[in-house]
Amino acid sequence: MPDVAKPSGGVAPGYTLSTGLGSQALAGLALVALPVGLLVTLTLLPTVRMVAATFLVEGHLSAERYFAFFNDAYTMANLRYTLEMGLVSAIAALSVSFGIALYLRFSAGRIATMIHGLSLFPLFVPSIIISYALVRFLGPNGLFQLLLEQVGFTQYRTPYLTPVGPFLAFLWENIPLPVLVLSAGLSQVSDHAVEAARDLGAKAPRILWEILLPQMRRSLLIAFALIFMGIIGAFTVPYMLGPPAPEMMSVFMQRTLGNLHDPASAQVQAVVLMVISSIVGGFYIATMAKSSAGAR
Amino acid sequence: MKRTYFGGLILLVSMGLAMLGPIITVILWAFAVKWRYPHLLPTEWGMKYWFAMLGRETVITPILTSLALTSIATTTAALICWPAAYAFARLKFPGRQLLLFSFIAAQAVPKFALFVSIAVIFLKLGLVGNFWGVVVVQMLSAVLFMIWIPTAAFRGIPPALEEAAFDLGASRLRVFLFITLPQAMPALAASYVLAFVSILFEVDSALLIGAPTVTTMPLLLMSLSAQVIVQEAAVLCVLIWVPCFVLLLLSRRFMTARGIAQGFGA
Amino acid sequence: MLQIDAITKTYQGTPAVRDASFTVARGELVCLLGPSGCGKSTLLRIISGLTDCDSGSVRIEGVDMTATQANRRPTAMVFQSHALWSHMSVAQNVGFGLRVRGLPKAEIAAKTAAVLDLVGLQAFAKRLPAELSGGQAQRVALARCLVVEPKVLLMDEPFSALDAHLRKGLREELKALQGRLDLTTIFVTHDQEEAMELADRIVVMQGGRVEQVGPPGVLYQNPSTLGVAQFIGAMNTCTTTLRQGAADWYGLDLRLPLPDGEVALLCRPEDVYPDAKGAAARVTRVIDLGPVTKVTLMTEAGDLLTWTCPRDQAPDLGRVLTLLPRRLHAFRNGALIGLAQSPLPAQTAGAPA
Repeated sequence: MPDVAKPSGGVAPGYTLSTGLGSQALAGLALVALPVGLLVTLTLLPTVRMVAATFLVEGHLSAERYFAFFNDAYTMANLRYTLEMGLVSAIAALSVSFGIALYLRFSAGRIATMIHGLSLFPLFVPSIIISYALVRFLGPNGLFQLLLEQVGFTQYRTPYLTPVGPFLAFLWENIPLPVLVLSAGLSQVSDHAVEAARDLGAKAPRILWEILLPQMRRSLLIAFALIFMGIIGAFTVPYMLGPPAPEMMSVFMQRTLGNLHDPASAQVQAVVLMVISSIVGGFYIATMAKSSAGAR
Repeated sequence: MKRTYFGGLILLVSMGLAMLGPIITVILWAFAVKWRYPHLLPTEWGMKYWFAMLGRETVITPILTSLALTSIATTTAALICWPAAYAFARLKFPGRQLLLFSFIAAQAVPKFALFVSIAVIFLKLGLVGNFWGVVVVQMLSAVLFMIWIPTAAFRGIPPALEEAAFDLGASRLRVFLFITLPQAMPALAASYVLAFVSILFEVDSALLIGAPTVTTMPLLLMSLSAQVIVQEAAVLCVLIWVPCFVLLLLSRRFMTARGIAQGFGA
Repeated sequence: MLQIDAITKTYQGTPAVRDASFTVARGELVCLLGPSGCGKSTLLRIISGLTDCDSGSVRIEGVDMTATQANRRPTAMVFQSHALWSHMSVAQNVGFGLRVRGLPKAEIAAKTAAVLDLVGLQAFAKRLPAELSGGQAQRVALARCLVVEPKVLLMDEPFSALDAHLRKGLREELKALQGRLDLTTIFVTHDQEEAMELADRIVVMQGGRVEQVGPPGVLYQNPSTLGVAQFIGAMNTCTTTLRQGAADWYGLDLRLPLPDGEVALLCRPEDVYPDAKGAAARVTRVIDLGPVTKVTLMTEAGDLLTWTCPRDQAPDLGRVLTLLPRRLHAFRNGALIGLAQSPLPAQTAGAPA
């Protein structure tokens, strides 16, 4: 090819600022200063201050608040419930999304388009709306129960105010992201690769297990990390749909701070949640970094 | 072939029920005057509860508060983030990648836990329940959309477009105002809509930092949803969500896999 | 009119343009020709002011423009990607340069209409760039530059994204327009046919250097470097060693009164002629190109040789011919050391012309 692809033949993007790199650097830093400042004052500083505060008991360093946290049965039940909810909901959302993405990958037409549209619908619905809507839909005497009774099923027991309630809401909310990520990943698996395997006599489960899944591993891990982090930090869904006990961490924190007026304990709960989230986040960033290094 | 067709149809129907069922329920409730068990559908329709709701000051005030709060927070965030996005996309400065990355990394911090840490500080400063305190905190929710989408948009403008204008005699300011900005406008508008809607419906910061003095629309919705009269919350849902849904649909071009994954830091 | 003097530009240690110098006269169309990555586009951007240079100078009508930014230079550039602004109509695109100059509205409208008329797009004034074909878009891009009456028009491979047929038509249109408006133009291309057709003079670049400057015919007939010889037109290249005024040309000992040493002997396919005393080669391929016939031959040593002959002289496949060169360029270390007219085999009596 002639130099069509790179019209400026290796010229840096943007026209040169003959004013020099120094003033460009200054302008750049000045322009990003405000949002970075916002991030520092409202994310970095409060977090650092909070971590420090949790270790400071009456003027000296102590981990005693953390001992209290990890030795309190109710607190630990909440933490456990939160993590289990994250794990189960994320795996369920990934499985369902993977099924949808697979269907979309290998079919075309109006039905596929509509399924695609439906799977993205939750992007347009805020948490609070879907939480309320699920209360009305799945709750006692809700539309779902009415529909079931129309077909003669009368044994419906509502998931509202049980752990199944928030689970279903998290499942509902977390369909679009993995569908998008997995569809993008699946579209990179060529038809030829699948046909070649089919030619060699491979059955659908084997194709799924040995050809599609390995190629999707990274996408699945990234989607899992994102969903998991979102769920363990969620407030609205468990607050509106969940049982009074155990509580998910955010609800627990809110009650500790707002109702029990115990900021010290609330901060410890917040730090523990942050640490768990940042471990998953760190793993996620490492996956990202590895993949972008591999792409080079 | 037939098997896949029926499989698809079953998938479509079950997904339609799961995805749209809850929202349809709310819409039905909003226009129901009487809907008693075990009727499948409301037995009496009407806008009765709309008029009742819209006539109440305790409903109108939170809505106005929310709109004011969201407009101020989103607009301010846009004013500080869009220029930064331009800088990230077009200027070279030390720490550019690291700073851009810090906006992703900040998303790994659980929001509610973060708001707890801010709330504790605001408690000491007497900022809890302060309108402007809520505005500042809600701007945080906008930063992500306002940095990522515009940065990608500015990067996507071919440099030749700007060069051509500069070459024809335009000043750098003029190039920016007449070429760069209009080219990026759809993406900027989309980032504004996304941020606006996410702030409008944000519960966490409103609850931790606004309550009890600053009552926002989502907080009102929460308290209404616990009421005996189902229709009130349903009316509020439909009233606020439907316009937002339309706006979001208009900016759906930017809700692509890449956009969203980037939004979450992927 | 335009003087380029000793321009050098280095990107992160890699030289893109090295010590490039040439001049362009008023109304002249000069092509910067060279392979991909030879620095021709960079040089054009340096002339426009969009890229700065490390050393050297750009002078337009005697005024040093080296330190002047692109928006203050009397140049206008047509980009390969046409770079039309998609949010403006055709007329708004064209009028942009005039609006920048603060001209009154009526004058902008009149000038825009006139220049659109010039490129034959007056009916498209209200369209958006997205509604134009590739050729129309490039014409609008040209109009956008013409309307500001630049002293030097710069064109960066403007037609290379278009298909061959369209390219040819636009080329002729451009040439006619350029001549009519007496536009000083620098045209960057990697297509030697395009350069030969368009240019009054061609600047051949290679590896960031200016190899040779001259009218198309001169470059073709008298390339001064091996690079130019091989880049412009086809050449039969034979690398050999000169000993005592003779060199082995496809198995034939040719008399060449040149100093001893390694030498590359180049001969155009049309400069080959059959002669009983020539080098023997078997015809392996005959391609009828219409006006001429391209004959590919293989020597005994397995080297390939091309001969373009008149149609009626086309040989049969498999025949063994004996060929001699009419004009033979000899290069050593990339530089021309001699041009032999009808050199003869060493054993034959008679001096080369």
